[in-house]
Amino acid sequence: MTGRYLLGRVAGLGIVVVVVSILAFALMHAVPGGPFDETQMPLPPAAKANILHKYALDKPLWVQYVNYVGHALRGDFGIPYQSPTETVLGLIARVWPVTLLLGGIVVAISFTCGLGLGILAAVRHNTWLDTLLTALASLGMTVPNFIIAIWLILILSVRLHWLPTGGWGQARLLIMPVIAYSLQPLAIVARYTRVAVLEVLSSDYVRTARAKGLSPARVVARHVLRNACIPIVTLLGPMIPDLFTGSIFIEFTFRIPGLGKFFVSSIFERDYPMIMATILLVAVLWSLTYLLSDLLYVVIDPRVRVGARGR
Amino acid sequence: MPAAGDAAALPRARPGAPGRRGLWTDAWRRFARNPVRIGAAATALLIVALSLLAPLIAPARYDVVNIAEPLAPPSPRHWLGTDAIGRDVLSRLLYGGRTSLEVALTVVGLGVVVGVPLGTLAGFAGGWVDYVIMRLVEVSTALPGLLLAMLVISVLGSGVGNVILALALAAWIEPCRLMRAQTLALRDREFVEAAWAQGATTGHLIGRHILPNALGPLIVVVTLNIPRMIFSEASLSFLGLGINDPLPSWGKMVSESVSYLEVSPMLGIAPTLMIAVAVLSLTLVGDGLRDALDPSKDQGL
Amino acid sequence: MVARRYALLALVVILGVALGGHALGATMNAVGKPLPEDAAPPDQQVITGLTQPATTLDFFVGVYKRPQNIDGNSWSDILSTPLVRLDKNFDLVPGAAKSWDVSKDGMTWTFHLDRSQVWSDGTPVTADDFVSTFRLGADPKYAWDFAWFFGAIKGWDDAVKGTIPVNQIGVQRGADQYTLVVTTKTPAPYLPGMMLYSPPLNARALAKSGPFYNNDPKTSVSSGPYVLQEWTKDQRIVLVANPKYVGVKPYIQKVVLKFADLKTEFQAYVANEVDVAGNFSPADLQVIQFSPALKTQYHQGFGDFRTHYLGFDTMNPPFNNLKVRQAFSHSIDREGLIKGVIKQQGIAAYGFLMPGFPGSHQDDLKSIQSYDPAMAKQLLAEAGFPGGKGFPKLELWLRNERALGQAVGNAIAAMLSQNLGIQVDVSNRETKLFMDTLNSHKLQFYMVSYGMDYLDPSNMLGIWISGGRHAWKNDQFDQLTTTASSLIGDPQKRTAMFHDAEKVLVSDVGLIPIYFATPGFMWKPYLKGDALTADKIGVVAWHWPGWDGLSTLHESVYVTKDVSKFPRQ
Repeated sequence: MTGRYLLGRVAGLGIVVVVVSILAFALMHAVPGGPFDETQMPLPPAAKANILHKYALDKPLWVQYVNYVGHALRGDFGIPYQSPTETVLGLIARVWPVTLLLGGIVVAISFTCGLGLGILAAVRHNTWLDTLLTALASLGMTVPNFIIAIWLILILSVRLHWLPTGGWGQARLLIMPVIAYSLQPLAIVARYTRVAVLEVLSSDYVRTARAKGLSPARVVARHVLRNACIPIVTLLGPMIPDLFTGSIFIEFTFRIPGLGKFFVSSIFERDYPMIMATILLVAVLWSLTYLLSDLLYVVIDPRVRVGARGR
Repeated sequence: MPAAGDAAALPRARPGAPGRRGLWTDAWRRFARNPVRIGAAATALLIVALSLLAPLIAPARYDVVNIAEPLAPPSPRHWLGTDAIGRDVLSRLLYGGRTSLEVALTVVGLGVVVGVPLGTLAGFAGGWVDYVIMRLVEVSTALPGLLLAMLVISVLGSGVGNVILALALAAWIEPCRLMRAQTLALRDREFVEAAWAQGATTGHLIGRHILPNALGPLIVVVTLNIPRMIFSEASLSFLGLGINDPLPSWGKMVSESVSYLEVSPMLGIAPTLMIAVAVLSLTLVGDGLRDALDPSKDQGL
Repeated sequence: MVARRYALLALVVILGVALGGHALGATMNAVGKPLPEDAAPPDQQVITGLTQPATTLDFFVGVYKRPQNIDGNSWSDILSTPLVRLDKNFDLVPGAAKSWDVSKDGMTWTFHLDRSQVWSDGTPVTADDFVSTFRLGADPKYAWDFAWFFGAIKGWDDAVKGTIPVNQIGVQRGADQYTLVVTTKTPAPYLPGMMLYSPPLNARALAKSGPFYNNDPKTSVSSGPYVLQEWTKDQRIVLVANPKYVGVKPYIQKVVLKFADLKTEFQAYVANEVDVAGNFSPADLQVIQFSPALKTQYHQGFGDFRTHYLGFDTMNPPFNNLKVRQAFSHSIDREGLIKGVIKQQGIAAYGFLMPGFPGSHQDDLKSIQSYDPAMAKQLLAEAGFPGGKGFPKLELWLRNERALGQAVGNAIAAMLSQNLGIQVDVSNRETKLFMDTLNSHKLQFYMVSYGMDYLDPSNMLGIWISGGRHAWKNDQFDQLTTTASSLIGDPQKRTAMFHDAEKVLVSDVGLIPIYFATPGFMWKPYLKGDALTADKIGVVAWHWPGWDGLSTLHESVYVTKDVSKFPRQ
């Protein structure tokens, strides 16, 4: 892991951002429709021309792109059509912390419980407990979170009157969204952990360690986790930025003023500045995540040589 | 001289009995020993069979509408009741399986077929090959599937094939990264060096040493992505970007059932259970496969 | 004896003070409006509702971006007063304009403004506010999204095109600053109805803070019944009664709007978190039906007189063939749809104008597109597709429909398959993809709806004039509708012409009307008021457009003491 390698990765981030920005720009303009509404009657050509001119959408695409890049490099990512009284950066700065908070709690819960349950299932492999946990995890993976959300509201709010149906600002308003949002990641983490741990559990050096008299817990801690970590990091790493960018279903259903809804609403509203901003955000987040997981590989297992030429 | 810590690799390098056929019959015997696994395999096969045979065994076609009998509860005529316009839920469930399984299995299969070689290549070759492939992965991750789907549908129209196209564009990423990680982890181990020194080909190395190690997580990726694809297809169809009505799919049935949750819970329970059972049986089968192909994994601690 | 007399006197005084004080000192709310006997205390005169995400409260800033929910329940335009308002009988009543008159040629309207109106910054409301607001709407630089609407005003279209300056459009100050003169291109008897959409913006605030001055309490200025107290982005809007308002002050002194996805509106209503609800899913409706308490709170209204219909691309095969369209029109069992699927959410439509809408004469049209599968099959055979053979596979496009719309679309597709032997798929398209294809006249077969903008047949029928959003052209219809729209002096002839036009539309199968929406709305039993009692035909409704500056709903509704029976979370 050399400095040169890291430099190359940072340059890679830049390349990805540029490529993604070009593709995203082309893609969003290729989709029919625009930021204007024609729900009742079609806009007369003159009115439509006025709107396109106002948003500078009547210039050739490459000119628009160059303008966008020029502004972006100076930190100006435009004004969201959905919220014209603030800037794109201002909007993101306002709503992302909400999503981060919810996402952070969900990550903490799903990863700790998931890891624990996964290890438990692996250690009790081929027993009824393992099968039960696997079944529960399958259920958790397949029931979509909006269904869980609606059931929670029906039971806890409407029938029992224990909690309000939604909103943001009090701790108790987090209970239902967190439950609905973390079941699926928890199940996924448990599944991957179990399988990764299993891969390593019965390998010879673990058996050797047991034969040497080490307790199961120490074997798990010292050998199993370390070697099982690589696939875990690979597959679970991306879940974190995923949870940190939010779920539109959860935020919509529980009236949470977060970033999640903007990933979808921007596309439906053809809110071009927000579409670009959200896509670029995702690109940067994921590239950083992949970089971090590559670095983690080396930390976990120093024999791994990322970036070196192989065969 | 392989170090003690790498002894893990050695048993796998030796088949359990002389000849390849021996490995598989041994595997089958190990698999068959576990009744839960057999049950799961049977269930999975049953679901697939039921879906394939839907036109023959379904009580009615999936599009037979009867607006005089909407939202009927389960009855002898309609074992699972009817939906909002009187269509038989059981029939739609059976036909829905075809669509869902077709889309999900194709997309996931494509993802594996494309992603596994790419990931192995990236991990094995390293250097700029790895660099380029990983940048490709990052670009693909950033582009939103929703936008891509909208473009596909506005240019090519709706339909099963186009849904598969829209979904497959991102399905190769996870298998690719997984294989890359596994390859990276094992590529420079001494036992691989040793085999290499003994004249083993790259193919042999991959097939014998790297792939089996990745099989477990790969199977989990596959069994996880199947329900994910089912619901991605459902959300695309929900937004008019996927499969047209009246063709049912399990995911669509679940999405549509949300409006009727309180009064006709069966509309949602039936397809959700089907998906869960399908996933569970595939999961257990997958686990069993992985266990069976490696004899040293029979015991826990 | 003296003591007893004093005691009696004291008793009389006490009683007198109590009774008299009760009569004199009736509780008043925060803006000095005396509350009725059974009203809850002033601090409980609050109404809470849910709304879709909105960018503005003002019509002239962004029509589609206001808190204006589906089914026409709106919470917008409450910070100024339009020239006229709608009451619960859908009659126009004076708003900012105390009276108006029209010239003999029918093209010049003079509105006499209420001189006592003031903005919350103390300045008077004058004709200049209206003039600058309309100029803003026509300004090409401003690029208003509803710029197609006021084409009837003289010079409007040219100003939008940029060929004349905006200060020449037909909205000018009259003899003094309280007189507004509106000039139209051709006689437009419906203009007062159109002027429902005239809530003015404050010229000074516009110049100082831009069109979004009402998004921030610090820059917001109101001449309407409410002022903006709080706007927390993506969370809530809070409005409080305007003490400087000169119209009928509301009893409700606070309005709280929470931004939400309306799917959970009914759940929030049952949990007592909101006082009103619309947007019911089929499951919600079923729950309401089977709950005696909820059922009494459910009221059906006219909404915005919305017609749901099937449309075609009549310029290209196969729908350029009248017999094909006629075959389709006889294949739809509307009554069955209402009974089985739509239920209380709609009534069968055989014409384009809903019963209750001016100019509607559905009974005369019922036989033209009657349900007759045998005739349908025969017509299709005559058109060259016996038994549906050779007919291309169709894709019925829906415009981002919710559960009911999808159910109706699928049921219609099944009816067509069953009755005509044609294969019909259903595709529920995203709104903009749908509208883009529809407006470019490339959409072959679709289901869509239109709700009225103002109460005159020229509005509803006018959308069928060729060159609009539909790929249908009929010269006779164009001529009848255009002439009738500008006809003055003979209301009977005008109505008859509209009748004829609608008959042409239905006979030529420019559309297949399916149902008129009768949206349901719920409000808590502790909300009372004259607006919530039966209108002149006996309908009790949260009448369109809702708790909005354009309606008079807010003038009479108040919260009774029963609110204590509905505890909040």
